[in-house]
Amino acid sequence: MMNNILEVKNLSKEYNDFELKNVSFELPKGMILGFIGENGAGKTTTIKSILNIVNDYTGEINVFGMNNRKNDKAVKEDIGIVLDDMFFPEILNPTDINVIMKDIYVNWDSKLYFKYLKEFSLPTNKQIKAFSKGMRKKLEIATALSHHPKLLILDEPTSGLDPVARNEVIDIFQDFIQNEECSILLSSHITTDLEHIADYIVFINKGEILLSKTRDELLEEYGIVKCTETEFKKINDSDLIRYRKSKYEYEVLVENKKEFNKKYSINTIDKITLEDLMVMMIKGVK
Amino acid sequence: MEIIISNSSGIPIYEQIKEQIKAKIISNELKVNELLPSIRSLAKDLRCSVITTKNAYEELVHEGYVINVPSKGFYVAEINDEVVREELLNKIELLLDEAVRIAKLNSVDKKTILEMINILYEEE
Amino acid sequence: MKGLIKKDFLLVKSNIKVLVILFIVIGFMSFTFNGEMNISFVLPFMSVVIMLSTFSYDAYNKWDAYVTALPDGRKNSIKSKYIATIILLFMIAIGVSIITAISTYIKDNTLDFGAILEMVLVMLSTTIIMQSIMYPVIYKFGLEKARIGIFVGAFGLGFLASLISKYVDFKPIIQHLDMLNNYLTFILPIVTIILLYISYKISEKVYKNKEF
Repeated sequence: MMNNILEVKNLSKEYNDFELKNVSFELPKGMILGFIGENGAGKTTTIKSILNIVNDYTGEINVFGMNNRKNDKAVKEDIGIVLDDMFFPEILNPTDINVIMKDIYVNWDSKLYFKYLKEFSLPTNKQIKAFSKGMRKKLEIATALSHHPKLLILDEPTSGLDPVARNEVIDIFQDFIQNEECSILLSSHITTDLEHIADYIVFINKGEILLSKTRDELLEEYGIVKCTETEFKKINDSDLIRYRKSKYEYEVLVENKKEFNKKYSINTIDKITLEDLMVMMIKGVK
Repeated sequence: MEIIISNSSGIPIYEQIKEQIKAKIISNELKVNELLPSIRSLAKDLRCSVITTKNAYEELVHEGYVINVPSKGFYVAEINDEVVREELLNKIELLLDEAVRIAKLNSVDKKTILEMINILYEEE
Repeated sequence: MKGLIKKDFLLVKSNIKVLVILFIVIGFMSFTFNGEMNISFVLPFMSVVIMLSTFSYDAYNKWDAYVTALPDGRKNSIKSKYIATIILLFMIAIGVSIITAISTYIKDNTLDFGAILEMVLVMLSTTIIMQSIMYPVIYKFGLEKARIGIFVGAFGLGFLASLISKYVDFKPIIQHLDMLNNYLTFILPIVTIILLYISYKISEKVYKNKEF
């Protein structure tokens, strides 16, 4: 039985000024994977490789248990995509998209598509260029969902959305995985969206995966210890992941705050957010 | 069923879910053999990750409060009173522990604490 | 693939008003000008303008990257562009033929279908040759750079032609060409089809390895 909807193994790709190095991760069935990192960290390149929008990469990518290059068409029939800044020419309208997509996806469901348009209060006969950024994103999401895909690949699907719209969209994503066979790969630099709903967090920086864990491992176990210099000096190197020194205190990222507390009895251990984690991993000292 | 999740409490979310369901089982708000919401629908309604609700349910199964019937769902188990009593005593001990710790830290003596407990008991 | 062909026509449809007005103006011109007003130039002109506009709409919203992520998108994108071009060309050719036929009939009271057909065929072939050269360039270098290339190329060719005509005596060549002219109606379509095929194969190859 296949348990992973998506497997990326040792994905590498070289550009003149950027390199993707041995990116590996897995996305099990029925789960949401949050792919986080700064702009330019390699999220979009990874996604483009999965979809063969770029070709010249090494490593292996399996989708639904099939190689993504050998089964390009079959794989893409079951993937729904929202790509950052790439879509239909904007002089078309949502009805045009239905006409075109009917012939592209075998499973395109016009009824479902118009149902989403209605749900998102999107006009059906207005040119896309008259849409606000939020409306456009919603249209892209409606388009991605309307052929009953099993995997959603969403590159920054919430950028440009206001908080209320973001909430609506996240509801839709959680609805989508009510079916245990369906999964979502969701890239974002807005970490608050992912903080609650993502099951797995994969953190990429400068083309390399820095962390890949379940949400609960990261956010419930990791912690930031705040301490004085004397306290800091007592901490074993092996017990700290990153640290930052500020004028008044040391901030130390630790892997397991409970165990750390037992060992050192330093009491100020803060719960972390993904944002803290990203900042510590990028700016902190090893 | 009401479950209230706090994101700022510092208590892991799966633990909050677990404790609240457990309390509802103990108080009989959730009856024996009652079907609990599915992992996925609970995750959606609480806006948390699927793994989080899964962890909470697995711990409830482990502690004997819930039974997992494969491909059907999670049901409230028949719990024996001993387990419940043990659980309750543990909880009380934990809270008293905190009280004693604060007392010691601020040199409040044992007698005063015991007096406080006496007064609190009689108030009820 | 049908979907992608439809896409190009939906793009054209969004600008249909401009095109209809253009067609009416041209039709009107062919009636009012008393002299021999040949409107066949409309054919290459319209085809190139319209198809370039679809390329530019595509490029503006990075459609090529998006379509690549759809099933068979990379494969069908090129094919559909060529097919759309040809369908559009024939539509314009029919339009031009009808207008020419009506206007000559009203003016001279005669109808020479053979002459009209020959005129349209020559223009059709010329246009296809032009576009066959343009498309691989566009796919390889992108619309912006290709546009400059096409302009420079056209000017260069014109300049070269004028230069050659100054120094070379064409009379003997033209005599040969006259002879060729008899076969032109046969040769031109064949050359056109071969060129179109080569162009398609080059575009396909360029697109196959392209990264977006």
